[in-house]
Amino acid sequence: MKTQDLINAITEMREEDSLKISQELLEAGASPAEILDACRVAMEVIGKRFESGDCFIPELILAGEMLKGISELIKPRLQQEARQEKYGKVVIGTVEGDIHDIAKDIVAFMLDVNGFEVTDLGVDVPPAKFVQAVKDTGAKVVGLSGFLTLAYDPMKATVEALKAEGLKDVKVMIGGGQIDNQIRDYTGADAYGKDAMAAVSLAKQWYGV
Amino acid sequence: MFELTLPETREGNKTPEQLFAERTQRMQDALALKKPDRIPIQLGFGYMLAEMGGITRQELHENGEKEMELLEKAALYFEPDSAMGLFNNPGAALAVGDRMTKFPGHGLPPNGSFQFVEGEYMKPEDYDAFLDDPADWAIRKYWPRVFSKLEGLSLLPPLGIAAFGTYALFQLGIFKAPPVAAALRALGDAVEAQAAADARGQETFQRLAKLGFALPLFVGSIVEAPFDFMSDTLRGMRGIMLDIHRRPEKLIAAMEKCLTFQLEFAINFRKATGMKMCFIPLHRGSDGFMSLEQFERFYWPTLKNMQEVLVENDIIPFVFYEGVWDQRLKYLAELPKGKVSGLFQFSDIFKVKEVLGDVMCIAGGMRNSMLQAGTAEEVREWTRKVCEVVGRDGGFVMTTGIGEMEGCRPELVKVWVDATKEYGVY
Repeated sequence: MKTQDLINAITEMREEDSLKISQELLEAGASPAEILDACRVAMEVIGKRFESGDCFIPELILAGEMLKGISELIKPRLQQEARQEKYGKVVIGTVEGDIHDIAKDIVAFMLDVNGFEVTDLGVDVPPAKFVQAVKDTGAKVVGLSGFLTLAYDPMKATVEALKAEGLKDVKVMIGGGQIDNQIRDYTGADAYGKDAMAAVSLAKQWYGV
Repeated sequence: MFELTLPETREGNKTPEQLFAERTQRMQDALALKKPDRIPIQLGFGYMLAEMGGITRQELHENGEKEMELLEKAALYFEPDSAMGLFNNPGAALAVGDRMTKFPGHGLPPNGSFQFVEGEYMKPEDYDAFLDDPADWAIRKYWPRVFSKLEGLSLLPPLGIAAFGTYALFQLGIFKAPPVAAALRALGDAVEAQAAADARGQETFQRLAKLGFALPLFVGSIVEAPFDFMSDTLRGMRGIMLDIHRRPEKLIAAMEKCLTFQLEFAINFRKATGMKMCFIPLHRGSDGFMSLEQFERFYWPTLKNMQEVLVENDIIPFVFYEGVWDQRLKYLAELPKGKVSGLFQFSDIFKVKEVLGDVMCIAGGMRNSMLQAGTAEEVREWTRKVCEVVGRDGGFVMTTGIGEMEGCRPELVKVWVDATKEYGVY
């Protein structure tokens, strides 16, 4: 059993195999770090496929489930392992007045598995809370999510609040059901991303990864 | 608050009766893929009415007379062919303690916007009970879960006991048990609230008709693509996406069930009311959610079948193709030609015309974002282009990409409507 088998099981969406192989690898003496590394490689493959339109939401969600299952499996042996080095911090949330979380959760998940430390503020987040989180974490990237047309103005208010607090070098990306580049201009955000991988690309670009 | 000064001349000073006849004909011609005298315009004002009237959204939802007044004013000011206000009313949802919706002033600030709280309200282990008897499962298991004031219904015996004739009467005592009695009272309140909302809805369209405005395409029955039926209010997006991989056969069997009873509902509705339209809002089938292969297996067959059966029963599906459908237009071309209609949000509307111009009446053409963040010149120029290309040869209704206009600037809406009347003449 090799870590490549685990990578294959995850990318081929063989959920039961992914857990079985992880278990076997652990029993054969593989370290949790090796298994996590295989998971990361598998998620890179899935992320690329998602970007190029070769896999979709069912696969992202199932991959997330597989990762969750594997993490549970290796957790008992994980305490001595050092935390994985992250590229940078991202603050994310659904803006004030909007309680949609599905797309935001997928973006947060993809940023996380692609090497970012994500602070997820949840839904219906007022501008002041974004400002506070950016100050607390020192994040250089903020992601604003919203599904309703109602989200336009709270997005704009959040961008303005960040600027008013002197956090001018913080980059803001926006996304969601009714968002387009016209709304990027309207809100003063730095970029609009059409899906989760666009958010990963933007974060990588802004952190110079 | 926006001051509305009514235009002095109202579309050539015609009587409301003449206007109603003309506008209805215009909408009907577009639906039948014919060329009307000009492109019809439908405005779904929604929360824009609260903004224009200077009232909260909560008041707009809860003061039916005020909503009607604002809708009449807005319709007379902009003079579209058809207009509507809010899509739904919180009365019944509040009466049963609906956990899957939030309304302004109820779980949201008074100026919040109605929203769904999606969740996994049906668990994977519920599939067998759902497949065995969806009605029994829904009333005894699902309603108590999603409607907080109907929790008592979980005490009812299996509904199949009703078939036990006189012996079934032995079980009636359960209806006196306090939790069941409370649930029935809540249900009674919901019935009253919904009936009142229905009556207000009817009155609204009668009053609009008297002012000369045609019925909007949204008015009729409402059903969902079987995949969305299983996703939206039952499994939730996370659940349904996992079902594609973990239990595809059960998902398909469940979709067949909800195709059958939704069709029976829509056909009965048509017979009982005489109304021809059937609104089908789509959610998880657009580009980006699933692969074309998955779409062909899980989404399209039941949605296509649904529209075909509706058409056979003299019903016109008005399908909201939310999001982007650019990769899926070729499937839509399989639908019965000239018998269906579709509202497109973010699809390439010119491509839609090219592929589906001879298949369905196309509605849409204006992005909500442009009416909020655009300029008058931009709106005029875009409208001209849409009228010329998408409007060509008829079969087109000008609307916003979604049936809600919160945040749209009245002056831009005016420019858009006037430009449609100018460039949309055939």
